[in-house]
Amino acid sequence: MEFDFSVITDHARFLASGVGVTLALAGLSGICSLTLGFAVALLRLYGPAWLRPIAVLYIDSMRAIPVLVVLVWTFFALPIVSGITMPPFIAALIGLTLHLAAYAAEIVRAGVESVRAGQTRAALALGMSRVQLVRRILLPQAIVRMLPAFGSLLSITIKDTAIASVIAVTELMRQSETVAGQSFQPIEVFTFAMLVYFGLLFPVTRGVDLIYRRVAHLGRS
Amino acid sequence: MTFDWSVVWQHRDALLAGTATTVLLTVMTMVIAVPCGMAVAALRLYARAPVRAVATAYVELFRNLPLILVVYWAFYVLPITTGLGLSPLATGLAALALNVTAYNAETFRAGINSIRKGQIEAATALGMSRPQALRRVVIPQALRRVLPILASTWVSLFKDTSLVSVIAVSELAYVSMQIRSQTFRVLEMLTAMAAIYWLLGYPQAKLVDWIQRRFVVTE
Repeated sequence: MEFDFSVITDHARFLASGVGVTLALAGLSGICSLTLGFAVALLRLYGPAWLRPIAVLYIDSMRAIPVLVVLVWTFFALPIVSGITMPPFIAALIGLTLHLAAYAAEIVRAGVESVRAGQTRAALALGMSRVQLVRRILLPQAIVRMLPAFGSLLSITIKDTAIASVIAVTELMRQSETVAGQSFQPIEVFTFAMLVYFGLLFPVTRGVDLIYRRVAHLGRS
Repeated sequence: MTFDWSVVWQHRDALLAGTATTVLLTVMTMVIAVPCGMAVAALRLYARAPVRAVATAYVELFRNLPLILVVYWAFYVLPITTGLGLSPLATGLAALALNVTAYNAETFRAGINSIRKGQIEAATALGMSRPQALRRVVIPQALRRVLPILASTWVSLFKDTSLVSVIAVSELAYVSMQIRSQTFRVLEMLTAMAAIYWLLGYPQAKLVDWIQRRFVVTE
């Protein structure tokens, strides 16, 4: 068995553009899902009573459906319902955001609820409003405790962008499939893709571990 | 715009078979990945340094790769390197098992490490041998802590089985998308697929929450 890795150098630009799309998709869906997740978690915790069950239903539904199904549905079925056709990248961004925001919301909720109830009572007894309580007492402590979980969510986000290849987003996975199909050298191409993904993800997971060790003491109370 | 939902009912047998394959894949992967995960965790904790390094490298590699890439890789590389003509189902199962074993190994290792050192010291001070202390003191407590994490790995795995559809394993996602392209009832079939996953996954997610509340560890 002989390997010829020149296929990688021949398609270096094509594959590099895939890495760019992977990073862009991961970055954007990371930011969007964090924002949406925060909003959903705060609605679930402090929103009007009729909204809370809806927030719970949304979170639990997204935890129950595979991300592949969410992506395929957003790309193929949503345009039929809404009448708006989207490029694959936008569909992937929407699908990933909807999916990951549910996980972000759970992280935010767990973080906020991990602050002992006595602190809430103390803050209210001191005359703080609920908004002040959340902003001054709960979130500063909770955010520290959420950091490691957000770190692992980031690595999940990068991994999930590979699934967007199914709806033809030209990220690294998709570009690798194309090159592998054209060159008939799937082993070289997919092994290379493995190295690239590992190179992207390993620093993230390592970084999460390091941050966790650094900040763990801040979260203790 | 008209929808024809009867297409879902017409293909109920295929959908049911796909669902069965999804469940079967989940169960079989877990059956393989729990003992293998334990073995890898044991190697990482108690084996000689070179073996330990190999086990660590395996776990770190597979925890840092997208599963869909592992699936493709297994599909193209396993037949060439092993010379076996594996069926798509067996290939998908191998990819899932490789992935989940790495996660389980990390779960078991963390579970055992979470038991304070003082307990092993106390057990050996009471005259137990190290294996005895592990078997009688550490492992029973570790298992309790590991269970909630295994449960959420189970739900992730159930969802991740959909990824083997890319190598034509006829599980629920693949079957639904096949029917979609044969009948052109895109919205109906994709919605039915999502609904079936939801019906199966929602109770599992709720069960995981319950297990996590039930087995919460307070020291």
